[in-house]
Amino acid sequence: MTLRDSMLATLLTALALTAMPWLVSDFALALTLTCLMYAGLAVSWAMFCGATNYLSLATAAFFGMGAYVTAWGAEGLPYGVAVLIGGLVAAAIAGLVGAAVLHLRGAYFAVITFGLGELVRHAITYYEKAYAGTVGRVISEPPDSVTIYHTVLLLAALAVITALAVRSSRLGLALRGIGSDEERARTLGVNTRRAKIAAFSLSAFFAGALGAAMAMRWTYIDPLTVFNPFIGFQTVLIAMVGGAQTIIGPVASAVLFSLLTEFLRLQFPYLFLILLGLLLILLVLYLPGGLASLLVRWRWRKSGA
Amino acid sequence: MREALLSAQGVTVHFGGLVAVDGVDLEVHAGEMVGVIGPNGAGKTTFFHTLSGVLVPTAGRIAVAGDDLTGKSAHIYAAHGVARTFQTPRVFKEMSAVDNVRFGLEFAGRTRQHAHDAFDDPFAILDFLGLAAVASVPAGGLTPSRQRLLEIGMALGARPRVLLLDEVASGLTHAEVEKTAQLIRRVRDELGLAVIWIEHAVRVLMSYVERVAVLHQGAKIADGDPRSVARDPAVVEAYLGEEGDTQRMAA
Repeated sequence: MTLRDSMLATLLTALALTAMPWLVSDFALALTLTCLMYAGLAVSWAMFCGATNYLSLATAAFFGMGAYVTAWGAEGLPYGVAVLIGGLVAAAIAGLVGAAVLHLRGAYFAVITFGLGELVRHAITYYEKAYAGTVGRVISEPPDSVTIYHTVLLLAALAVITALAVRSSRLGLALRGIGSDEERARTLGVNTRRAKIAAFSLSAFFAGALGAAMAMRWTYIDPLTVFNPFIGFQTVLIAMVGGAQTIIGPVASAVLFSLLTEFLRLQFPYLFLILLGLLLILLVLYLPGGLASLLVRWRWRKSGA
Repeated sequence: MREALLSAQGVTVHFGGLVAVDGVDLEVHAGEMVGVIGPNGAGKTTFFHTLSGVLVPTAGRIAVAGDDLTGKSAHIYAAHGVARTFQTPRVFKEMSAVDNVRFGLEFAGRTRQHAHDAFDDPFAILDFLGLAAVASVPAGGLTPSRQRLLEIGMALGARPRVLLLDEVASGLTHAEVEKTAQLIRRVRDELGLAVIWIEHAVRVLMSYVERVAVLHQGAKIADGDPRSVARDPAVVEAYLGEEGDTQRMAA
């Protein structure tokens, strides 16, 4: 594919996605929205975790924080501003938490980031019960579904563009160095602490903004829904199955996952989680490099022929 | 007297009850090439870790170009122009050889200029090391001896003022050692670097450096020109039983 071809393809995809609300049924649009949400989450997760080999389970925490910014600000804040603030709050908290725990690695980091979601969830539940006298929140005047769709589309596109920009930047090089050998990267002049905090915080921005955008879609939110650890796990799985070192991998895998989940749920309502689990195990066993490695293999074969 | 480019004073490292490095002083000036030798377990590599900021010494002081860097992180040392290699090559395996060299240029070497422009280009550095042909090969796929050379390239990419070499000659054939040593000397001459070179194989080192320091059980027992150090009774004593290296040194 030449540069012109790929630019044309990108433009057409963008157009098609933008026009989607007027082209397809409500069901298909809802499905597309889920695809876009997970594409945005998985790409932004991979932006930090894919390059550095960190395993963060904090996606649900940032997503939920964004959702609550929307819920609390629903009366006073315009939708766009709420989404922006949702992202910024998540990024700021990621920066603070990152400064405290990014020196940890492996299982320790995973457990702490998982705990962060639980901590925030319980803190908000307590606060709502004690001071607001409520468990969940209803968003009384949500924007129409087309606006929400376009917001999520914009965020997913921004996540992809940011991931591309990071990958070709010095920050991206630093992150790859950290993933490969952090101490070696330090001896070559990388302030690894700063690079990690910056990237972790940047990736949290998208999770927060997507949470803020999606809260409007759900109209009723409570801590259990928006801090659902499943969101975090699903994001990690999508990114890993797609190939966390790449950008196209998580996007493709987000689409595949969302469609597959929906299909299995409709066809095998009782078996779908079992089937999904089985499929995952097979993928991890036989395609450890993710879906993106298929593309590499295919290209390699084509050039070799 | 000129100010030393790198100065270590009373550097001491304790690991639990074990004293790995014991009050070592070392001053190295620009353009100097100093060898550090010592029997296995003498604390050479641990001492290097402190000089590059990888390890904070238990006691002592380390200054680079007059700036006290004691207790600072490794990237501060790198920013001050201290670059090093590791005994077991630690290249970025998934990155191409040229990206490995570019890494230092993008970070530690970003703010400094070399005296010699040829080293501003990662391809030129690879060419200098004879690795031009494998520039786009992932570093993990290179032979161990090429990874060792690439380690030197990574350090040169950081535009160093002080180059710390940790056993770059080990595992190389005699011809390769000769070539590597000439490379290092050439870099030193062209860029006016201070080079500190650790080697377990004493004979190799003695013929290339102008000054040699000897570590024994963590302490420095000799420091001077290779000939007189080789005759030093304390050094002979330290090396007794060590594969007869001293006889060859004195010869």
